[in-house]
This record gives sequence, structure tokens and C-alpha cells, in this order.
Amino acid sequence: MDDTRQRLTNCFQVVFPDMPQEAITTASTATVAAWDSVAAITLMNVLEDEFGFQMDLDDLADLDSFEKLYSYLQKRHQVA
Amino acid sequence: MTITEALRITQSVPRDARPFAVTLACGFTPLHLQTFLAAHLQQALPGRRVTITPGLYGNLAGTLESISEANAPDGLVIALEWPDLDPRLDYRGAGSWGATAVNDIVASAQTMLDRIAAALLRTPSGPRIALSLPTLPLPPLFHTPGWQASHHELMLEAGVLRFAADIAQDGRIAVINPQRLAEQSPTAGRFDLKSDLYTGLPFTIEHADRLASQLAQALAPPTPKKGIISDLDDTLWSGIAGEVGPDAVAWDLASHAQLHGLYQKLLGSLADSGTLIGITSKNDPAVVAKAFERKDLLLRPEQVFPIEVHWNAKSGSVARILETWNIAADSVIFVDDSPMELAEVAAAHPGIECVLFPKNDYEAGLAMLRHLRDRCGKERVSKDDALRLESIRQGAAFREQASAGAAPESFLEQIGAVVTFDFAAATEPRVLELVNKTNQFNLNGGRYTQPDWQKLLSTPGLILAAVSYEDKFGPLGTIAAIAGHADGKRLTIDTWVMSCRAFARRIEHQTLKMLFETTGASEIEFRFTPTAKNGPLQDFFATLLAEPPTSECRLTRSQFELRCPALYHEVREMRRAEAHG
Repeated sequence: MDDTRQRLTNCFQVVFPDMPQEAITTASTATVAAWDSVAAITLMNVLEDEFGFQMDLDDLADLDSFEKLYSYLQKRHQVA
Repeated sequence: MTITEALRITQSVPRDARPFAVTLACGFTPLHLQTFLAAHLQQALPGRRVTITPGLYGNLAGTLESISEANAPDGLVIALEWPDLDPRLDYRGAGSWGATAVNDIVASAQTMLDRIAAALLRTPSGPRIALSLPTLPLPPLFHTPGWQASHHELMLEAGVLRFAADIAQDGRIAVINPQRLAEQSPTAGRFDLKSDLYTGLPFTIEHADRLASQLAQALAPPTPKKGIISDLDDTLWSGIAGEVGPDAVAWDLASHAQLHGLYQKLLGSLADSGTLIGITSKNDPAVVAKAFERKDLLLRPEQVFPIEVHWNAKSGSVARILETWNIAADSVIFVDDSPMELAEVAAAHPGIECVLFPKNDYEAGLAMLRHLRDRCGKERVSKDDALRLESIRQGAAFREQASAGAAPESFLEQIGAVVTFDFAAATEPRVLELVNKTNQFNLNGGRYTQPDWQKLLSTPGLILAAVSYEDKFGPLGTIAAIAGHADGKRLTIDTWVMSCRAFARRIEHQTLKMLFETTGASEIEFRFTPTAKNGPLQDFFATLLAEPPTSECRLTRSQFELRCPALYHEVREMRRAEAHG
């Protein structure tokens, strides 16, 4: 598992402590009941803490799965 | 604190820890305020599992009105913002801002403040309440340019301040100090319009954290320090008394020594509210005595006891002062201008808080004055606070005479001791204060929140007595409390504390005698737990039981009568008829 994926997994564990480890990489708002609007904002802020950049609330609606968040983070890293 | 840190704090609590339920009343989406509040409260209440339940969105008054005896939380936090007073003050609202609206907004805000005040008055007596006044700026809806306060803006702010001044008189309610919050969270960095419009949380993350921190501190405040031990030269006053003479040391504006005068005034103010003030100084006692005769001293000599003046190590002086006060080092602050003296005392007394007096650094001086107020400040001052220093002074005289003069028995017989049991003092704030701050003579070290205490008081068969004492040396005030419950002839004591100021007077024996006689019990069971600090209580039980107490601590009447020494107190009882119907 690459570093970004691992750090993203850690962020999910902070926001969803009851989520089984193996379910994290396939998680999405469609499959995780606890991933509501409040959790989405909390996850965004935890990602900001972890990766040290600001995210835009406008992006939040599209970032609705682990894989999309991973792609987003990779792009942000490339830009940085 | 970051969101991640806050979440980790709240997730690290054992699931079986005793819950501490908090209702968070706010009209906005609490989001991070809730997370940070849980984390800060969790840090303040390490043995509890804090749970936060947000109130109704957009209906703060309704949340307060819905709280009853049946659903009362352990704590109530109210984060008031302008939209709670009128929806037209909400950026998310659609109400118009025109000139005709502002008069109506002022009137409806006052109506809402009255409604909230009434709801607060009706909340059950148990929960402690922390309240923050609006922390965000008003929207730009008034006719004046932003740099000029309009009449209506000032009316709104005046209404809020009147409301706060009224409710702050209620002993259950702690109002967040807006000025202190502004230092922690500058006004310009508080509001996040995009977050407000997108998520319903109007706060920046930083502001949510700092406001939550203050609210948590107000809901679960730290225990105040009990005493300050101060140096003299270049601390209580400017100058070295032994060099310049007692008449030349200064603490006034003209001598550029006002910082020392302010320090004296603060110590005097703290002494008036029950903080103990002692002195240790490497000095000539005669010179110091002359200085203390000066009429312009701002700290009155009678507010200070004991005064240790000699040339020996200050750690020894501190040890004797702590012994006289009969409190532990971790309840005390030591103030000196010398880092070496601070280090010497700190090494000898682990736990003592050492504070450097910054002689010529005014910014640091102000910070020190504020720090001392923060560490020693009290929410309310009782008549027992005013008695404390005098009773310690009298206690020292008591011990001196007891050890030097007549034999102990005849001494105790001749001091005219009166023990008073008040059986209807359950709701007196002093009783819970005693329970929560007494360490040495404490049955089990149990601490109670106000709701926990209320639950104990509702125990069937409750017996509770507050104990006061006085003798020819003067009154000690309310110095002990005992609470338990009787089931027929079976008596169980849940809580028993006695101030260390009252040791060696056999008040604890008189208390047990009263219990046996009042209840007719043949045996008393004590919910005893050994703690690191309740050695004096353990010694007391070991004497009566002829063996160290265990968690199964029971004392029979015959054991007590066999080993109880002679008691010479006059015993008085208050309010028994009312208490027991």
C-alpha cells in the first residue's frame, strides 16, 4: 500500500472507528450509513490535518468514496 | 487542538467509563464545536465518558424548555449566537434587513432573551450550565457604516449584557468571559461564511476549538489552589529591606514600583475570598516586622499567616507553612523573584507550582497577576472562606497550647469546644465544596458533580450532616460533612470528609457518636477506599478497629465505645425537626 493510500486509510479509521479495516478501501457514501454530511465534513477536516492543505467545500459532494478521495489526494500531491 | 486530535481523545475513552451527559444547546449545526467540546471536556473529566447531545436546530429556546427533571443532563452548554435572538440576524435566513426591520429586530431579540432567561430559571437544579454570549459579529444590516456603532446595534448588545448580568447571579450558571475569549480567539478569525452557508456551522475550526475549550472549562472548572506563599524583597515590595531599610522599600506609582502594589492588592483580594497567604523571606525578622508596621501596606498584615523570616533555606519555610495550613504542596503556588529559590523549593516540594515574579517586565507582570487570579479564583465566596485564615491562626495557637501547656486531656476539656450538626444542609454549596476538595480525611476520595450529588441526596433513608466547630480560639466554620443511608438499623456511610484544619479535636469521634445515637444502629458500614492521600482517615479507623481498615470496613457500636476517647464537646443540633419531618 503506498503512503497516500495508507494515510487516507488512517484518516478513515479516525472518522469511522467502527469500520472494519478491510471495508475502508471500498467505502462510499452509498455503502457506509455513517458517512453522512457531518461525517463528510469531519473527514475533510481530518484530511486537511493529515495532508496539510485546505480543501474546498465545493469539492465535497464529488468526493463520495475512498477511491475518489484517493485520486483527489494524488492530484493535489502532483500539483504540490 | 486539531479535529483529528479531538476525535482521538474522544475515541480513547473506555466504553464502560461512567457517562457524563451534556446537552449542547445552539441554534446552528454544532459539527466541530460538538467534537471539540467533547474532547476538551473529556480531558477535564478523565474518569468519565463524555457524550454530547445537540439540541434542536434553530430553536435554542425550545431546547432549554424541553429539559426536565426526567431528562436532565449532567451538564448544559449554551452557545448563544445572534440568529437565536432573531432569524433576520442569520446569514442563512431570508428575512429583510431594511431600516424598518431593525426596530422590530431589537424588540424581538429582547423577547427571546426574556424567554431564554425564563427557561434557564426553570431548568432542574442539578446540571451545571456554561453559557457563551454571541461570539460572531452582527451582520451589516444597520444604517451606519461599519466603523460606527448604530443605536440599534448597541441596543442589541446592551440587551444581551443585561441578560447575562442577571443570569450570572445564578450559582449554577457560568458565563464565558467575552474579553478572555477574544484573547484566545480574535474576533476577525471567528466567522466562516462559506461554512455557515454550506454546512450550518458559522465558526472557523480555530474558533470552534477555542470556544469549546472555554465552555468546557466553565462546565468542569479546575480545583482552585488553596494558598500562595510569597517572597518579600523585590516581590511583595521593591527593594531589599535589609539594605535600604523598611521605610524605603516601595510598592507605589511614584517609585515605579506599582507592579508590587498591584501584587499586594491581588493577594489581599484573594485573601478576602479565602486563599491562604504565607510569607517566606531570607531576612532580618526585626526589619521585616518594621516593614509590616507601615500603614501604607496594601496587603493587610492580618491577611498573612504564617510569616517565616530567617536566613535558612526557603524549602524549610515552605514545609512549615504547609504543615501549619495542613495542605499538600500541589495545592499551593510559591512566588519569588529568584529562579534559584524557586528551583530549591520545587526540588524539595514536588507538585508545588513555582511562579517567577518578573520585577521589571510589566507585560510578564500582568500575565502573572492574571495567572494567579485564574489559579486561585472562585466562583463564589462563602462565609467559611472568610473564616479560613483566622481559623488556621487559631489552630496554630491551639496546637501550641496543646503541646506546650496542660496535658492533652485537660487541655481539650478546657477549651470550650462546641460541635454543631446541621441535618438540613444538603444543598448548601459549602457541603459539596468540602466533599470535592478534601483529601486527607476523606472516606474514599469520591468526587461529585452537581447531578451526582443530587442523586446521592435522593437516596432513600438519606442521613446527611454538616458539622461546624468552635472553641475558645474561635470558630472553624463548617469543617466536615457525612452522608449515608439507613435501612432499618443498618447504616451505610457513603461520604465522609473533614477539613484538615479540624484535626486533633475529636470531632470525628463525636460525629460517630452522634450517628450511633441518632440512628440506633449497632453497626456502621463505611464505603471506604484507600487513596494516596487519605492516610489520616486510615489511621483513625485503624485506632478504632485495632487493625487497618479494608474495603469491608464495618464498625460496631461496642468497638466504638471501647476505643472512643473522652469527648468534651458541647453538642448542638440544627434543623433536625425540619430535616426528618
